[in-house]
Amino acid sequence: MNFNKKEFDRLAAEYRYVITDMICRAGSGHLGGALSLVETIITLYYRILNVDPENPKWEDRDRLIMSKGHAGPVLYVALAYNGFFPKSWLPTLNADGTRLPSHVDQNQTPGIDITAGSLGQGLSCACGVALASKMNNKKHRVFCIIGDGESNEGQIWEAALFAGHRKLDNLVAITDYNKLQIDGFTKDMLDLEPLVDKWRSFNWEVFEMDGHDWDDIYTTVNKAIAVNGKPAMIVAHTIKAKDCSVAENLPESHNIKVPNEQEYRKYIEALVNQEVDLPY
Amino acid sequence: MELHELEMRAVYGRTLNELIDADPNVLCLEADLSKASGTNPEVFSKHPDNFVNVGVSEANMICIGAGLASEGKIPFCASFTCFASRRVYDQVTISVAYANNNVKIVGTAPGITAGPNGGTHMCFQDLAIMRAMPNMHVYSPCDVYELRSMMKNMVHSRQPTYMQLIRPKVDPVFNDDYQFQPGKVLSLRSGSDVTLVSTGYMTHFARQAADELDKKGVHVDHLHCPSVKPFDVETLVKSAKKTGAVVTVEAQNIIGGLGGAVCEVLSEHYPTRVKRLGIPDKFGEVATEEYLFNKHKFGVKHIINACEEFLKGK
Repeated sequence: MNFNKKEFDRLAAEYRYVITDMICRAGSGHLGGALSLVETIITLYYRILNVDPENPKWEDRDRLIMSKGHAGPVLYVALAYNGFFPKSWLPTLNADGTRLPSHVDQNQTPGIDITAGSLGQGLSCACGVALASKMNNKKHRVFCIIGDGESNEGQIWEAALFAGHRKLDNLVAITDYNKLQIDGFTKDMLDLEPLVDKWRSFNWEVFEMDGHDWDDIYTTVNKAIAVNGKPAMIVAHTIKAKDCSVAENLPESHNIKVPNEQEYRKYIEALVNQEVDLPY
Repeated sequence: MELHELEMRAVYGRTLNELIDADPNVLCLEADLSKASGTNPEVFSKHPDNFVNVGVSEANMICIGAGLASEGKIPFCASFTCFASRRVYDQVTISVAYANNNVKIVGTAPGITAGPNGGTHMCFQDLAIMRAMPNMHVYSPCDVYELRSMMKNMVHSRQPTYMQLIRPKVDPVFNDDYQFQPGKVLSLRSGSDVTLVSTGYMTHFARQAADELDKKGVHVDHLHCPSVKPFDVETLVKSAKKTGAVVTVEAQNIIGGLGGAVCEVLSEHYPTRVKRLGIPDKFGEVATEEYLFNKHKFGVKHIINACEEFLKGK
């Protein structure tokens, strides 16, 4: 899809509306960390990733591993909008018998490459996927999105050592650095700073980007893809629950509870853009 | 040299090489214990491109294995039993079993064979915790022939699997004709007085006990159980119906492992008196095998006693 800022802004607003609607219908869900990734996911699925919705297991496709598995909803919207499954699946999030569980599942949902949900494991899995690609002399890229709270997990740093040691330059990781985790701000819980220096010291090429700026995302991801001889980490500065005023930048946005119509209206009406027709 | 003249770990490494020769998707993953597992220099020197040593990071190894398996590779991930099971239990649960990724996990130096490494390394719960995991097969081979046949089966099974691996040389129980089948018990001796069920390393001691009992006129129905899960319900129940008394022996906590499996099966299908021999809910320690057998009462003489006690009660 050719880039058009106005069209992409409209698409981002629609994604945020749909994600919020899905989570509110489910009665609860991880809103904040899905909304912070909207522009990144749209850029990946509309401008970067080489994937085929008709053949989700195509062996030469680019892989995307959502290590912060609770951000499933933003991925589900991108997959549905790109034809991996019908948009009518979207409002089934977390419903009995759904194929769209809160945390991503490679056996449930077309287009999900790796199951994730127990934090810290997805980046190691991504190392395995990237290593397999190298062993098979394949040219596809492996993307992995991790959380900032997730970066408290020791296993993230085991994977960081391994990818640096093995020079997995087909791996591009993105940290959704929205500065919040469940119990508070990352700087108060377990400070990650200096985060860029940490990744650099693990022998990764490191970039920073504004995770809500279309041009910056596109340019930075392409720079990361072009890195040779090292894995690349993009520290994406984002805002948790972006554009939902009652949740934005609040720790409570991590997992919202929506017990009734009144709460549903609260979140929906707090969205910056209201001019959206639901696709289901 | 006959295969059984080699250490078990040497046969593990040698068999991995054969499997890689036949299918280059087979991989050997290690976490800084490759010499202990028998894959270095064996696999490392013959198939360096199929050998991945991740350093001392077992959790990372399991999930790298999961990622590789999701791409069609068949990784065998080995470490000491304590690290290959309890240390990585969540990684195995989510990235391997729940995701149903085709990873083979090998726990070396199981149970009391951890010997001089002592209590920190003696894992007595791996069969129990792995058995409680959906999608997971759980095996414990007793000799080199069973090990080799089991590994060949694992490569073709597309089944997440946990396997114990005794490291030293052990006496042969089977020969080169042996064909491992998941979920099948093997009858090592037929008798009608007492059913004796064993797995892995303890099968050797159970055989000795069965031999000595035979000399005393006690005829044991000895079932060797290499596949703790899936479990051969039919053969066990048939034997219990014949003998009416069952003794289990394993180098594991008596809670949840082979003894647990036997009790679950019998209490549902054919309630039978059972005596579980093994570690009576205690941790390990630095000690000789003899000391541990005597302390926890699960050596050859204790197996004999347990069988004879059952006969007295008949």
